[in-house]
Amino acid sequence: MSSDDHTLLARAASGDGEALDALMSRYASRIYRLAYGITRSSADAEEVVQDVFLQVVQKGTGFEGRAALGSWIYRITTNVSLNKRRGKRRDLETSLEELLPRYRADGHREGDRAFLVSDWSGTPERELLAGESRRILEEAIDRLPDHYRAVLVLKDVEELSNDEVAQIVGDTVAAVKTRLHRARMALRELLTQRLGARA
Amino acid sequence: MTCRELIAILDDYLDGTLPDQLRADLEDHLANCVPCRAYLVTYRKTREIGTTAARVEMPDEMRARLRRFLRDKLRGS
Repeated sequence: MSSDDHTLLARAASGDGEALDALMSRYASRIYRLAYGITRSSADAEEVVQDVFLQVVQKGTGFEGRAALGSWIYRITTNVSLNKRRGKRRDLETSLEELLPRYRADGHREGDRAFLVSDWSGTPERELLAGESRRILEEAIDRLPDHYRAVLVLKDVEELSNDEVAQIVGDTVAAVKTRLHRARMALRELLTQRLGARA
Repeated sequence: MTCRELIAILDDYLDGTLPDQLRADLEDHLANCVPCRAYLVTYRKTREIGTTAARVEMPDEMRARLRRFLRDKLRGS
């Protein structure tokens, strides 16, 4: 952790409002995005943000790790969010296996030809991110397992490297890459099932 | 290269991290496989819109509540 972060944490822990505001402006949005990405609930994400900030400010000055403060915060946020989700909304989650491509013995894809060549990618992004399409996308994201959404947010939204994501979620780089790929394939499948027919 | 092999390395292709020969093999396959071309463009679009959709902002009222919550807690500790 940098000495700047350390100083800021020490000041915030002693009740310095300016230091707290500085920490919030650096980290609150990032924590919220990740917490919301995992919990998919604004109310749960708010509780996670409060919990994480308290932990960071109260324990931060004793944190002697070599990791940057940001990585440490992402790790706490991931753990708190996953804990909050434990036992919730499993009914919505789909077995990813059903959403991965199926192949013939010769390695080529199996399935209905019209579905295999279905291409909705020409739909403008603003159209995909509004109305019914947006609802379909949000439902598809909801159906991913929590720990898959965690790596998606860390990688694609927070733009961390595979190495950083692996350290945060406590897994190998290979496992992170596999999880990302499977999550994206599953999302693509769900979107194609719903959007493909309209393209 | 088969469809299975192509799809397995799609992220590396889109990230531009494939070795030259593998990239050439993949592009040869794409040139002759309509389903894989459709898969590639919809996969890429999925990455893009998934990222945009996940870029949520913390509401201002929530930020204000967080500030009050932390100041109260830290004052009391």
